[in-house]
Amino acid sequence: MLAPARRLAARAFFKRGELRMKRRLWKRYRFAYLAICPFFIQFLIFQLIPTLATFYYSFTNWNGMKKPRWIGLDNYAMMLEDYQFLDAFRNTALYWMIGVAGVLCLSLMIASMLNSRALRMKHFFKTVTFLPYVCASMAMGLIFGMLFDENAGLVNAVIELFGGRALPWLTSSRLARIPVHILFIWRTIPWYTLIFLSGLLNIPAEFYEAATVDGASGPQKFFRITLPQLGNISFFCFVTITVDAWKIFNEPYTLAGPGSSNTSLFQLMYVNGFKIFKMGYASALGVVLIAILLVISLIQFRARRAQGEL
Amino acid sequence: MSYRTKQRLWSAFLHLMMLMIVAVCLFPVLWSCVISIKSVGEKVSGFHALSITQPTLANYGRLFELIPLWQHLGNSVFTSVVGTLTTLVFCSLAGFAFAKYRFPARDALFYFVVATMTIPAEVGAVPLFLIMKNMELINSLWSLILPRLATAVGVFYLRQYIMEVPDEILEAARIDGCRDLGIFWRIVCPVIKPALASWASLTLIARWNDFFWPLLFLNKTPKYTLMVSVSMLPLSDGLATPWQVILAGTTLVIVPSILMYLFMQTFQKEGATAGAVKG
Repeated sequence: MLAPARRLAARAFFKRGELRMKRRLWKRYRFAYLAICPFFIQFLIFQLIPTLATFYYSFTNWNGMKKPRWIGLDNYAMMLEDYQFLDAFRNTALYWMIGVAGVLCLSLMIASMLNSRALRMKHFFKTVTFLPYVCASMAMGLIFGMLFDENAGLVNAVIELFGGRALPWLTSSRLARIPVHILFIWRTIPWYTLIFLSGLLNIPAEFYEAATVDGASGPQKFFRITLPQLGNISFFCFVTITVDAWKIFNEPYTLAGPGSSNTSLFQLMYVNGFKIFKMGYASALGVVLIAILLVISLIQFRARRAQGEL
Repeated sequence: MSYRTKQRLWSAFLHLMMLMIVAVCLFPVLWSCVISIKSVGEKVSGFHALSITQPTLANYGRLFELIPLWQHLGNSVFTSVVGTLTTLVFCSLAGFAFAKYRFPARDALFYFVVATMTIPAEVGAVPLFLIMKNMELINSLWSLILPRLATAVGVFYLRQYIMEVPDEILEAARIDGCRDLGIFWRIVCPVIKPALASWASLTLIARWNDFFWPLLFLNKTPKYTLMVSVSMLPLSDGLATPWQVILAGTTLVIVPSILMYLFMQTFQKEGATAGAVKG
């Protein structure tokens, strides 16, 4: 057994060693941790804390002035009776479903066309088809607002030219979603075209050559080689379009139809939180958005894992 | 039908389709440009819009009367440029650390970064507004820059790119006495220039187009960015603003981003070759 003094000395020695070790480790990893910490600090303050606080406020009747009072699930119960919420939920779900289907199909089509060997002036076509993505959605919303105007709009003029009847695009609650769908798809396609195009370029040409030798037809090649090879990319695209579609705001905001005919969930949250100051209720809407996004991505990840691709 | 004619027909069909797509892409933008130079007296309804008898820039002049244009333009330029520079620096630094360093919990932290992409920051807008208020950032342009110092997508994208930088050059630089930051600045940045350029152009355009956050955080007229003030054109004056003036506003915000994109496009090509030679 060590004498007390020696034991103390030994402990001090080990402590110093530990410290030195820690210092060495810190020195070794310092740069990497310092390099990634801006992201995490900013994420913590401006995203994680607000997101968690949203959960808390969703159980209160906070109005921005008085101290928030705990009201349990009342906000969520209110939602089920709020026709605006039900409208917004339906609208956003439609923006999502039609948006995903339209964007994925059309962007894959355009990407395949851009990738075709027969196409001349590729650089020109690639550049121009990317332009819609560059244009501000708010500004395009105003422009589409004019194009779809009931009296002054070009869309109705074209319909009348072909003998149809002018339609109240933005003033009827039945049609008001259509311009939003068109604008969202129009502006979102180029980005996914770009991603699909880079995916197509990565498929080895030998696959197609071998298929040609075996006598495969064009569609066969597309369904048997192109689509499976794009699996991971389409999955990524699906997840990102889903996020984009559920947080849609600018398009329905600038193309606002009557009442809540084309309001999105996120827009409803904005109105509740910052226009009529029902911040508790707005937070509950935020929680619903989070829940929807989490569920969709979890299902997707599960499905991918079940297929053994992740 | 011979193979040759079949090929030709397919090619003609392909080009026709592509031209139609190009028309759809360009039409709304050109439409906005055309209407913006029509005088307010002219009809803009239906096909009348397409005939311009007296082109004029008066609508743009009217914009200057309606909104403090230079100031808002300055605000937009400041937020987009400073925002882009900060993201470039912090995303590439984080991407570099994730790609080329081993440290405890690296993979877990990286998966965390990727996972943050599934929940957008917008869902926390209500409490975030309160945080901004407490930090006294409401009506400050920094409220648009600080929350996006580094973005998950940017970190992810630049990490992918930096992974392809061969370890040998980094080792060589280290043996020659280069420190971490020196390696990053002197070796990694020049090699990944094309990736930096494309990320910069995308961020610059996205920040310029940003609408929701400025709408939320800026509520004093002198602090507005161009997007916010243009979005309010239809409502100003109490009177209905003529379409010509509104579309002059939209043209004014769209054209710079298109020019920026075309400019970056040329820059990117040069960058790509430069990187290849050096790398």
